[in-house]
Amino acid sequence: MIKSQTKLTWVLIAILALLSLSPVVMLLLGSFSKGLVQLGDFTLDKYKAVYGDISFYGILGDTLVFVFFSALFSTVLALFLAYLNNRTDIPGKFLFKIISVVPMMIPHVLFAVSWSLLLNPSNGILNLIFTQVFGMSESPMNIYSIGGMILVEGLLDLPIAYLIISPAMASFDVSLEESSRVSGAGNIKTLFRITLPVLRPAILAAFILCIVRCLASFAVPSVLGMPANITVLATYIYKITTTGLIPDYGKAAATGMSILALSISLIYVYRYMTRSSEKFITVSSRGFKPSVVKLKGAKVPLFIVLIILMFILIVLPVLVLLYTSLVPYSMVPSAKAFSMMSLAHWKDVFTDSISLVSLKNSLFLSLVGATLGTILSIFVSYVIVKVKTRSAGLLESLSFLSFSFPGIVIAIGFMWLFVRTPLYATIWALLIGYIATYLPYGIRPMTSAFIQIHSSLEESSKVCGASFLTTVRRIIVPLLVSGIVSGWVLMATMFFRELSLSVVLSRPGTETLAVMILKFSDDGLWGKLSALGIIMIFISTLMVVGANLIGNKFRPEAN
Amino acid sequence: MEIRITGLKKYYKSEGNVIKALDDVNLVIPSNKIFTLLGPSGCGKTTLLRSIVGLEAPDEGEIQIGDTVVWSSSKNIFVPTEKRALGMVFQTYAIWPHMNVFNNIAYPLQNQKRPKDEIESRVREVLKFVQLEGFEKRPATRLSGGQQQRVALARALVAKPKVILFDEPLSNLDAKLREETRKELRSFLTELEITAVYVTHDRVEALALSDNIGVMRSGKIIEIGEPKKIYFHPEHQFVADFIGRSNLIPASIKSIKDGMSTVTTDIGEFVCSDAGIKKGSPAVLCIRPEFVEVASAEGPRPVNAVDGLVHSMVFIGEVYESEIKVNDRLVMVKLPADTKLSSGDPVTFHVKPEHCLLVSE
Repeated sequence: MIKSQTKLTWVLIAILALLSLSPVVMLLLGSFSKGLVQLGDFTLDKYKAVYGDISFYGILGDTLVFVFFSALFSTVLALFLAYLNNRTDIPGKFLFKIISVVPMMIPHVLFAVSWSLLLNPSNGILNLIFTQVFGMSESPMNIYSIGGMILVEGLLDLPIAYLIISPAMASFDVSLEESSRVSGAGNIKTLFRITLPVLRPAILAAFILCIVRCLASFAVPSVLGMPANITVLATYIYKITTTGLIPDYGKAAATGMSILALSISLIYVYRYMTRSSEKFITVSSRGFKPSVVKLKGAKVPLFIVLIILMFILIVLPVLVLLYTSLVPYSMVPSAKAFSMMSLAHWKDVFTDSISLVSLKNSLFLSLVGATLGTILSIFVSYVIVKVKTRSAGLLESLSFLSFSFPGIVIAIGFMWLFVRTPLYATIWALLIGYIATYLPYGIRPMTSAFIQIHSSLEESSKVCGASFLTTVRRIIVPLLVSGIVSGWVLMATMFFRELSLSVVLSRPGTETLAVMILKFSDDGLWGKLSALGIIMIFISTLMVVGANLIGNKFRPEAN
Repeated sequence: MEIRITGLKKYYKSEGNVIKALDDVNLVIPSNKIFTLLGPSGCGKTTLLRSIVGLEAPDEGEIQIGDTVVWSSSKNIFVPTEKRALGMVFQTYAIWPHMNVFNNIAYPLQNQKRPKDEIESRVREVLKFVQLEGFEKRPATRLSGGQQQRVALARALVAKPKVILFDEPLSNLDAKLREETRKELRSFLTELEITAVYVTHDRVEALALSDNIGVMRSGKIIEIGEPKKIYFHPEHQFVADFIGRSNLIPASIKSIKDGMSTVTTDIGEFVCSDAGIKKGSPAVLCIRPEFVEVASAEGPRPVNAVDGLVHSMVFIGEVYESEIKVNDRLVMVKLPADTKLSSGDPVTFHVKPEHCLLVSE
């Protein structure tokens, strides 16, 4: 038993090392190589070329502004929403649950595109309304700007920040605040001197994670930044690999090294913070509900703000895409527009062989990739939780590493790797890349599911006379199912909308949906893009709903 | 400072049922004494405490602390917690994890905008009082349970409030530490001129600590008295049972003469001190196991003697906890650790009339 566990641990370490360490090593070697795609002839030339170029520092500056303010925006908004949900008597609390599910259904690239359709300076629908209906001489808003990028990226990362801050707020021991009140401090003073400082680790963790996500973000900078000639590191790498006859993957690797280094260090800070935050966790032994702050007069305005936010996050993108897919060109919604509606763009998509290929590819990657990823996650989580050897600890660190991988950077590493194998330009290259990069998202829900299965639960089943198989069937599987389902759904939806790896690794014949969307966006084929986008959203939603139905079937018997 | 509570009501709705957390509570908590609210969980004692401190708003009634009305439904007064100038020790201690010991304790004084040097000397003084000298710089997260409890006490006392409230502050300590802290807390509080209101469900804690105990059940205060009175002469069956182990035997009053009542029960007749219960009305005879004595074989038969068989004996160290079977009833008694009796032996026991309590049903 013990021997086979050790064997299993080392097999898994080997697999994970191959998946997550090999692209990093290749990236490192590639960045020092002289040739464009050939390893060897080690030199510092590529670094000199990247970091010796003065324009790089302008890009770096834009990147830092974009990343910092987007993360700040997400964190502050998440804090505000978490407070509203957990500590006030605001109505419609179910809306907050939606925040954590919806990003799975609306791909980032589509969200960015829908904003471009609304607010681009030449024919954004909102801008058209301002110029045509209200008679303004020029478009009042321009989403193709650093401010527009920050707004959209901030909204996209809001759920991540919210999912970290909200539980911390919910498990907050209210007596910490109550004792402040008894000590003579009012509501506001208590908020700033007690509540926020106690929550600081969670707030900082959310902020750091948002920074890592913004650094890796490719959809927003490419859809909203490129038209305005605003380049951040992620799009800079993309430009390097797409300009020139033969792209310089060495230079791309040298640029990527700085994002990767930054991401990895930030993720380590994040891990340290979430670990040390445990000492701040105070669990109240009392059944008292947290004292609810009565909003009184502010209730209605805040509820309206919440509704607007929900509308912007969920309804608006879908509406805009649906509308755009039906009208022949960008126009203000009016009787005329509705009379001109047709299914022409939809017919276009369904007769376009590349669109269909991309749909087939993405479905394959999503279903097969998520299933393989889930199986791997189950084994890795089992070893992390149940086998407490030093090598299991190594596995844990290894499994956490790719959490910090910016997709486009690690794709450059994979490029260096695959170019030498028959996998190059096949769908398998994408599959391996996806699993390597997004494995932590599958492992996390599985680990918490395994932690639930305390060994005494298995043992007491044995004592009750159950065979090993019965124990697995009646005890372990039911307790694991919710973890398996949520891990699978998370990976399946992520794979289905994946952009930043695909944009580097996909070749003619292996296009994915997000890559097609980006291509249509570059070519200004908004109607076709929107039709394909709605199909994408529909399938993602189907996956989430379907998986939840399956999960519910296996839920504890009482439910 | 005296606390005067009049007609306090608080109702919760839960799954369609109305739960009366406070059901018309009238209570005067005397000045500079330790007053304990004792009762099982869910009896409303914590709701009452939280209403006094202002963390909960009752539905009806009035609360007056000293000369100030802090809550009144009819006069529409609600003084917020932070303006009530009270001290409170929470069940979880509520030590702020991001501050050191000094800042935790100085916080109430900082809120009053006292000068820095005054704050420093006062904090030092109160740390000395709770025997934590030199702990100023210690991070709050590096304190043991007992130390956290003292810091919480120091914080509650630092601004010299006239009233201090305790919400089961010892329930998170282990048994031995709890006993020590209980003793210490009583000596701390009697040293100060302060009114203390203490909430607990632990009867031993209440007896050992309080000047007065108010026993609560289902949102009502059903009995108030000094610990000894509550223990020896409870007026209600519930109090008698809650404050210590009791044999509760249904009884009917046969006659009342010279301050003594004679009652009939299913284990025989008993002479008891009169509790003012009228002849004919239902009553319960309450006999505590520790007051049951085994009669010696020689000499005259004592008053209130009963014959039975030893049914069970459990040795717990100081004594045997034993049951004696009389007719169909099992009577709990405590037998001395060196008793020669064993299960199945016939035995005669008796209870002095002053230890036979009559309580109303």
